[in-house]
This record gives sequence, structure tokens and C-alpha cells, in this order.
Amino acid sequence: MMRRVGLGAGLGVLVVVILAALDWRLAAMVGVWLGAWLLNVALSRSGASGARLLVPLIFGLTLLTLWEMAVRLYGISPVILPAPSAIAAAFAANTDILWADFVQTILKGALVGYVIGCGAAVLAALAIDRSVFLQKGMLPVGNFIAALPIVGTAPIFVMWFGFGPASKAAVVVAMVFFPMLVNAVQGLKASDQMQRDLMHTYAASYWQSLLKLRLPTALPFLFNGLKICTTLALIGAIVAEFFGSPTVGMGFRIKIEVGRLAMDVVWAEITVAALAGSGFYGLMALLEKQLTFWHPSQRKA
Amino acid sequence: MRKLTLGAAALLATGGVAAADGHADEVNLQLQWVTQAQFAGYYVALENGYYDEEGLAVNIIPGGPDIAPPQVLAGGGADVMLNWMPSALAARESGLPVVNIAQPFVRSGLMLTCWADSGITAPEDLAGATVAHWFFGNEYPFLSWMSQLGIGVEGGDDGVTLLQAGFNVDPLIQRQADCMSTMTYNEYWQVIDAGVTPEELVTFRYEDYGVSTLEDGIWALEENLEDPDFVDRMARFVRASMRGWQWAVENPDEAAMIVLDYDETGAQTEEHQTRMMGEIALLVEGGDGRLDEEAYQRTVDTLLAGGSDPVISAAPEGAFTHAITDAALAE
Repeated sequence: MMRRVGLGAGLGVLVVVILAALDWRLAAMVGVWLGAWLLNVALSRSGASGARLLVPLIFGLTLLTLWEMAVRLYGISPVILPAPSAIAAAFAANTDILWADFVQTILKGALVGYVIGCGAAVLAALAIDRSVFLQKGMLPVGNFIAALPIVGTAPIFVMWFGFGPASKAAVVVAMVFFPMLVNAVQGLKASDQMQRDLMHTYAASYWQSLLKLRLPTALPFLFNGLKICTTLALIGAIVAEFFGSPTVGMGFRIKIEVGRLAMDVVWAEITVAALAGSGFYGLMALLEKQLTFWHPSQRKA
Repeated sequence: MRKLTLGAAALLATGGVAAADGHADEVNLQLQWVTQAQFAGYYVALENGYYDEEGLAVNIIPGGPDIAPPQVLAGGGADVMLNWMPSALAARESGLPVVNIAQPFVRSGLMLTCWADSGITAPEDLAGATVAHWFFGNEYPFLSWMSQLGIGVEGGDDGVTLLQAGFNVDPLIQRQADCMSTMTYNEYWQVIDAGVTPEELVTFRYEDYGVSTLEDGIWALEENLEDPDFVDRMARFVRASMRGWQWAVENPDEAAMIVLDYDETGAQTEEHQTRMMGEIALLVEGGDGRLDEEAYQRTVDTLLAGGSDPVISAAPEGAFTHAITDAALAE
């Protein structure tokens, strides 16, 4: 095994040397990547306590370094792709604007729509669960709503609900409703017939059986839906702003800064979206861990 | 394909000035917007063979709501672009050195259209009003104008509540806004077509208030202008384009039909395009493609007066050249 790594490293060095003869810039980049890779291999083999955190960190930093190197070495125009350092500078210089955009788009638009959409979907799933009529009629309608393209719904909602966050929340509701509904309906079917019979023998009412058995068994499904919807909500709220907005918001900022060719600000805004998306998803994953500790998928090896 | 053979025939007939080996020089032109009479001069030059006569194979690339011509130019997707001067100068300041090589439009077609019943009779009345405007580089003239009037754009009773609207007039029709940005040759007529009478509207032409900025100039990358071959190609391109514009101004109805032929989306109507061509003719009439430095200076001054958030922070250096138009007009 050790020999294989040595062989790989040797081959890598050879490649770098050959490349150096052709294009020193490419050679430098491949060299950096190779060095970081070898470092990571060594780290993961050492079994050091911090390695679990260090290895992905080094990987991410390597990507950023390569990006920075590519932009600088090849003189890529900042209009096409700004360097990470320029993006970081733009981020630092515009924190107040980025925060205002975050509040407008994520907190007032995406989050409100997410809560309303997912909440409505769970209630609809309960209704569907109780009635065959709704099961046959409502699911196709939910599917139909999910199939509506955002470029069609967004301008219409802007006309209905105005330019503010309300129209963005409406777009998010339309986007998250169906994925959540499908997961919730499926989740409510997750308990075994045997378990439900057992509840029945305890003389449990519908609601008791729902709260004590069926909702807990549905939790993994519900969280699956909630996690999928986090990213959908973010995308929906940001893209909807392209079709009409006040002069604040992440989608608005991306749109006008592209027009101004301030790509560093655009990327700073993308960074905010990525951080918010990861944070939002992470929050849901954490909540799931706390609530579905009993589920086999949460078992520690 | 038919156009190509026509072009070849025209070349043979005129003896063409194409390169010695018989191939035409390629020019990719990025429009600022979708195919419409706003760009009639270029389509006429293509259709009537003026480009062919100059030994050029011109490829006209339509734009759209989310296409920033400077970015296409930077990415190498086009040799030359049409752009409003504010957005081009902002791009220049952002590190994309674009240079104006010709200016077919001598007047601005931008105006603000307001509901008469909103009580707005003069620009000063805009304080407290809601204005829907396009962004994506089209907002600069308005922001500069407001800052010159000392009206804020952060809403409130003495400021303008600004909305970022899509490229349609719905916000005005729906009365979500008191005023909306319109072009004399396009959106104003969309409002009229929606059943509104001109008496119900109040319009403010930027041109009338001394805050107009130059529109639809021809821009190329500075580095390319160091290449004599490119300069020669551009001179031929500008010469043929101006011939196209002249013909379009003299034959507006035919020019509109040519534009319709080239509209691959099928979204444009004859009535709208004919009307647009008539309005566009008013904007290009009297120009020969040469940039008027007075108008340039007025544009720069307007932009520099952008208040707290000026479009450009310093007067640009070398943002235009007469070299191309001088060469084009010399023959």
C-alpha cells in the first residue's frame, strides 16, 4: 500500500516535470494539487485526532488556491471570473449590503415561504391520509403545482402579491409544497399494519395513534422532505427576485451587479447563498439527529 | 443559406473588397436586446448586402433580458457590441476596457411615463412617488437624474420608492407604480396598446431635461484596437452599418419588414415594428456615426453626478476613439 502511494507520487513528480517543459503555469498548479493530495493521504493514514477535520479543510483550501493561481497566472479577466481574494475583499467591503439582502431574501422571503409551504403540505398530507377522495384528487394537483416553471409563476405572483417579499414567499410555497407533500404522505404510511393493530387493541383514538405512533415513524420521511426543501426555498426566493423586487435582496443584487460587471460582488452574494444554504440544511440535519435517534440510519458505527 | 449565396453573388457583382483569398472577414455583433427595429440599420446592411460589399461576414447575435453585452464581449463571444454608454462606462471602470468606436444614435429614447392622475406634472413631483424601473445597467440615467434633483431613492415621503421591474409595462398598467421607465420606440407604445390613451399619461423625456445619456453605441475591446487589421475591419463594419441606418431612415416601412424577416422568435408584429422604426429614425437622424464629444461629455457629467453611489467615480480616459469613424467616413 505504501509502495502504491510512493509510485503515485513518483509518477506525479514526473508529470510535473514534463508539464514544466510545456507550460510552467500548469505545472505549478498541478504541483500544488499534488503536494496537497500527498499531505492529505499522509494525514488520513496517520490517524491523527484532528485529521477528520483537517483533511476536508486542506481539500477546500487547495481548490481555492488553485482558483486563485489560475486567475493570476493566466490573467483571467475579473469580468469572467474574479479571484477568491477579490471576492473576499468585496465580501468584507459590503457586509452591510449583504446582510440587508440576506434578511430580505432569506428571512423574509425564503423562510416564510418554507414554513408556510411545508406546514401546508403536512396538513394536506394528513387530510389526504384521512380521505381516499383527496388522495385521488389532491396529489395530481400538487404534482401540477410542482411542475409550474418558476419563470412563469414568479412574474404572476409579483403582479398578485406586489414587489415585496410576499411574492417571493409565494413562489417558495409553490416550489416546496409538493416535495414535502409526497414525503409526508409516504411517511404517514410508514408504520406497520402490526403496529397500527397494536394501537387499535390499546383502544387508541385516531389522534392518539397519530401522535404516538404514526408521526414519529413518519419523521425520517418528513425530514427528508424538509432537507430537500431548504435548497428549493433558497433558489426560489433568489430567482423570483429577478422578475421584480424592491431595491434590496440577493437576487436583485446579483442581477444588477452582473449588469454592472461587478462580478466580485455577485460571487460574494453567491457565497452568502451557499453559506445560508449549508447552514439551513445543517440545521435540519441536526434536528433530525436529535429527533430520530432511534432510527437505524442514525446509528453510529 | 439563401442569404449567403446572395452575398456571394453581390461580392462577384461588385468585385468585392474581400481578402485576397476570397473569404470574408467575420464580425460577430452582440445586440443589446432582442431582434427589433431598434437595430434595423444592422439588419438592413446585412440584407441589402452592404456588409458583403465591404468583404465582411457579419453575424448578428440577439440579446435578451439577462444577457450583458460587455460580458459576451469579454468572453470572446463577440467582436463588437451595442451598449448604452452608462453601462459601457461602468464596465470600463470595472476593469473591462471597452472603447466606443461609433455612435449611430444621436438622441436618447429613454423617458419616464407616469399616470396623469397621480398628480405628477414635473420631475420635482416624483418625491413620494413609486417608480418602476429596469435595472441591469439601465437604471443609471434615472439614478443620476434623481440625485441631481436632490430626490432620494430610498422611499419615504420625500423620496422615490424604486422598484426593480421586469422588461414589461405591467407594473404601470397594474398601477403598482405611478411611473415607469419606457423607451419612446417600444414600451410607451405597449402602454398605449394596453388601451391607455396618451391623455391619461404624462411623459418626461430625459432628452428634454438635459440628463439624457447616449444609447446604442458601438463598442469594442481596447486591446483589439491596437491591431490594424481589426481597425480596418471595424471601419468597414461601421461604414456598412451607417449605410444601413441611412437606408432604414429613408425607407422605414421596408426596414421594419426586413427586421421582421430576421426575427426568429416570431414575437414581433408588423404594426409594432413599423411604429418602432419611425421612432428610431428620430433618434438616428442627422448622425453619421461619429461620436459627438459634447454629447459624450454630457453623458459623463450626468453619470458623475450620481450622488452617493455614482455610476462612475472618475471621468474615463480613452473611452472613445474617432479613428474608426474617420477611416469609415474618409471613403
